[in-house]
Order: sequence, then C-alpha cells, then structure tokens
Amino acid sequence: MTKKTIKDDHPSSFVGLIDVISGRKNVDPELHRRLESVRQLLVAPKTHEGPFLTVLVRTQGRRLEPLKDALLCLAGQTVQDFEVILLEHNATKDAAREVRAIVDRLEPEFGSRVRILEVKGGTRSKPLNAGVHEARGRYIAIYDDDDLVFADWIEQFRDTAGTDGDRLARAVVANQVVVPEIWPQGQSGFRTASWPNSEYPKTFDLLQHMLVNYSPFMSWAFPRALFFTYGMRFDENLTVAEDWDVILRGSLLLGVDDVPALTAIYRRWVGGESSYTSHDTESWRASEQAVIDRIDEHVIMMPVGSFNAMRRMVLYNTALDNYRFIFNGTSLRRPLNWAWDAVRPGFRVAVKVRNRIRRLRAR
Amino acid sequence: MVEARSLAVQSVLYRNSAEDIERATRALTNSVRWARADRLISDWTLQLGDCSPSAVFTETSLAPLRAVVEAEGGTLGYTVFGANLGSAAGHNALAPLSSTQLLLILNPDAQVAPDAITALARAVVGDVGIAESRQVPLEHPKYFEANTGTTSWASTACAMTVREGFDKVGGFDSATFFLYCDDVDYSWQLRLHGYRVVFEPAAAVFHDKRLTITGDWPAGDAEIYYSAEAAILLAHKYSRPDIVRSLVARYTKDGSAAALKATAEYRKRKAAGTLPTPVDRAHKVAEFVKDNYAVHRF
Repeated sequence: MTKKTIKDDHPSSFVGLIDVISGRKNVDPELHRRLESVRQLLVAPKTHEGPFLTVLVRTQGRRLEPLKDALLCLAGQTVQDFEVILLEHNATKDAAREVRAIVDRLEPEFGSRVRILEVKGGTRSKPLNAGVHEARGRYIAIYDDDDLVFADWIEQFRDTAGTDGDRLARAVVANQVVVPEIWPQGQSGFRTASWPNSEYPKTFDLLQHMLVNYSPFMSWAFPRALFFTYGMRFDENLTVAEDWDVILRGSLLLGVDDVPALTAIYRRWVGGESSYTSHDTESWRASEQAVIDRIDEHVIMMPVGSFNAMRRMVLYNTALDNYRFIFNGTSLRRPLNWAWDAVRPGFRVAVKVRNRIRRLRAR
Repeated sequence: MVEARSLAVQSVLYRNSAEDIERATRALTNSVRWARADRLISDWTLQLGDCSPSAVFTETSLAPLRAVVEAEGGTLGYTVFGANLGSAAGHNALAPLSSTQLLLILNPDAQVAPDAITALARAVVGDVGIAESRQVPLEHPKYFEANTGTTSWASTACAMTVREGFDKVGGFDSATFFLYCDDVDYSWQLRLHGYRVVFEPAAAVFHDKRLTITGDWPAGDAEIYYSAEAAILLAHKYSRPDIVRSLVARYTKDGSAAALKATAEYRKRKAAGTLPTPVDRAHKVAEFVKDNYAVHRF
C-alpha cells in the first residue's frame, strides 16, 4: 500500500472547538499551549500504510445471491484502494461453506483483498467491532450483504473526505423494493420491484437525524480516528439502531462532510426478512431510547449553524405553547374541547401510522 | 446435462480506457474459468473490435491482456476498425472472426460475475436464442416470467446468444440501427425465427450506470438522439405506422434539436427508400408499451 501523509485540511468538530478556545485573544497562555499540544496530537501529519478504505460487509450467509451482488459492486469500483472484511456472523456450517465458496470464486486480484472474519454470538454490533479491530483503512465503511453500491461509491468518499480528514463523510442512498423469488435455475433469488427512490435528505442535518436516522450505513465513511483516536465502538448492548448510535455520536464529535452524489441502493425487502422484521417494536423502541439516553448523559458539540436552527425550533414550540390554552378547559373553551375529544382518537391513530411509516422509511 | 460448447466473447471498444478493459477481461477470464470447470465451455476466444479514433491498445500494451486470456485457455483477437461503426456493425464484423457455437455480446467495460458465464451457458439451451444477464447495480425493469425467465427482448450489455440463431437472422441490423434498439430488433428477429428470449437473473454483470442525486436517469445527448431515432425506425420495421406517426408528431411538437434531428433522419431515409422492409405484420413479437418495448415491472 502507498504511504500517505495525513494533513490538516479537514479539521474535526472537536479540533474546531479547540481552535475556538485557543484562538481567543485573552486565553490563559498555559491553556493555549496545552490545547495546541492536544491539537498537534490530533492533526499532526502521520503516515498510514493501509488502504484508503476498509469495507465491512456483514453477512449471516442467508442471502447468497445478494451477497454476490454486493461483492460484484465492490469489484466494479472505479477506485480499488480498499480492502474487504466479510463479517460472517452466526452463520450455520452450511451457510459458512457457501460463503467461502463465493469468496473462492472471486477474481483472484480482487479476492486477495477480501478476508472472512468469523464472529459468533452477540448483537449486530459485535461483528462490527471485530471488523473495526481488524481494519487497516484510513476510513471504514459498512455495507450489509444485500445492498448495492454504484461504481463511484468509494471514489466519491475519497474525493469528499480526501485521504486525510478526520470528519465523517456522508453520501446519499436510494431505497429499492425487492421481493424474494426462486430464479429459473433454482437459486433463492429476488425480483427487483421498484426504481431506486432517492427519498433521504440530500445533505446531512444533525438535528433531523436526532429524530430518526435518514442515512443507512452505506451512506457513511467513518474516519479511522473515530475508533482508534477517540476510542468509539459500536454498542454491543443494542439489539438494533447500532448504526444510528455511531452516526449520531460520531457526527457530534467530529462533524460531517456531505458527498454530493447518490452512491448506493438500500434494498427494502417486501415479504422477506430484514432487521425490521427480525426485531419487534419493543426492541427498536428500547434500543432507540438507549441511544438517546446515552447521548443525553454527556456534553455534546453541535455543528456550525445549529444555534439558529435550535432557536427557530424553540420559537416554533413556544408559539405552539401559546395556543395550547385553547385546549385547556373553561366553559368558554368547552366546545373546542368537545370537538378535540371527538377527533383525538383518529388523530392519535394518524400520528401512529405516520410515525410507523417514517420508521419503516428510515430503516 | 448441458454439454460443453465453444464461446466467442465480443466487445466493441470506443474510447475506453485500457485499464477498464483489463479489469473487465480479468473478471471475464475468471468467469470463463468456472464455466470451463463446470464443463459448460470448451474452447473460447475474446474478440475486441476497436472503433476509437486512435487505438486503445498497442501490441505491447495488449500483451498482458493476451496473457490473461491465454492463461485460461482462450485466444485474443484485437481488430482496429479505424472508424466508429457503432455497436451493431461492430459485432457483425467481429462474429465471422470466430466459429464458436455461442457468442457473448459484452459491453467492453462491464464486469461479469464469477458465475455469470456458467448461468448464461445453462440458460441458452433448447429453444432459447439469447439469454440476458442481470445488470447491477441498476437492473433493467423489463418484465420476465418467474419460472422461465422468458421476456420480450434482451439487452446486449451482456447477453449470450447461439451462433446458429445469429446467422439465421443475419446478425444485428446495422443498416437501420446505430446505437440503440439493435438489441431489441435482434431479440425480436430471433423470436420471429422461433427462438425464445430469456432474462437470466443468476448471471449478474456490473455495468457502471449511475443516477443523479435525486434518483433520475442522466441521459446524455447521444442517448437522447439515437434512442429517439431508433424508436421511430423500430416502430416502422415492426409494422406500426400508427406509432411512427405518433412519435413524429410528438418529436415535432417537442422541438428539441435531438427530436427534430431524429425526425429529419427518418424522413430522409423514407425519401431515399432506405427504410427497412416492415416485418411482423401480425404483431406476434413486437411489443410497444408506452415508450418501452416490453411490459415494465417499474
């Protein structure tokens, strides 16, 4: 692998905060010196001998044809400066054998960059942490075995993040409906049933993402520093939402650069198994709440522009509060309350349906 | 049990990068290796036809490519056409350079999956005249029957066809089609000769197609023009004067340079008497569904 020098042209949010404090005219010289020392530690040029990207592909060996597609998409990348770690999680013996047969058949040069890492037990986070531990890339991207990436997936990450940044890079992903189907030669395949729908926000908005995850895993390239400098890991206590957790904590700590391109397709299975169908609503709710609670336990940094955005939210909320008196009962407001009582059950159902649709879209 | 057959893989180059062709060739050779191991392919050759203004390869730069092909028991042919023949005429020119039982029509930069050649060779049996690969990451939306794969037409981004059928229909109609619809026409010609056209989803091929950030298809100028022109010519050839009239009217109303140029080209050929003789008068094979040539799934 080529050695590249890590420079200081994509400072993270954390480094940005240090710059704000140490840049003040009247800052204590000793604090300034120590902050600069920390800054140097974080941004000082260092050599990295690994590839630009490590791609972690999770598989249980249950969807072999989609896994072949996922690997084919990687073989077709315009930038080949990457390695692949196939995270074989809780695969049965037969499934593991099938996965090995698929890897053995890869074109030799590409196949030489694909490693299988067997992981037993634990939640969906366990193989990810095992993969991170083994990753040699300057960035780490995660890609499930049933998803697709376009030829410029890695090229766009590289062009946006550079080879040296410490910020997360986020591209746009489309959703596409697939239906399980047996193929003419007997393989357990699928039928693609929709055009890729680019329904997620085109640029990253941290405040929006605090409500729900609008960015599937393949949207992201995580800088190595997130895991090896700042010590972050996937939360193995979470049964689901492990992606949302690291996306939120990572973006709060380091910041995000937008990749101005649609570079991947998330396959939404209809009539098949997915993380949504494999875990019940309670599991999702508990995991999401755990993500929120942990972030809420700590001080957080918000990106530039957040103060105005949050002011607008508070303003809007305050305005709503000012009109809530209409629904608080006195005899004068009683007719309104009666009307509200009449429509409230329907309103609640509508809100639940809307929220469910949002969650489905988000996963 | 399908017996081993000989295969010629044909690609028509136009301003491709040598690196892309080398990568595609490595993927192809790997796929052939497994098809040969499965005793589906015997002798094989890769025939590259170069339509670029200046040749993509020299004899020296071709050497590594030749080594890759020969290491897997194949032979490599590289023909510099010296002119942009278009894909249809290019493939017609390449076909006589081999005498194999099967032909794989392949986009030069498309990368076949390891088991693609195996799956295609298994699909091209009996009355099947051509089998189309499933393109990744953007799959063609044509409808196909679940159990048989039977479909209206096969895209030749990556499709395997029987030489016997190719010869029977006279190859691609290069006199009529330059860039688009030559594969639709070829498929329908095969069907008129009693062959079946199938889509084989197990044969995947990576074709570098991309979408805009809003998920739209970014059609280029050449695609807009040549597909508009081909649409009129295909409707004419398959005895649908009603569609020809409708397209001409729509293009005239559209008024864009590409639409007007396509209409002018059709009128020019009509006046010169160089339009193809209409076939399929009973409308047995041709399907015109909205602006498509098959029912689409989406």
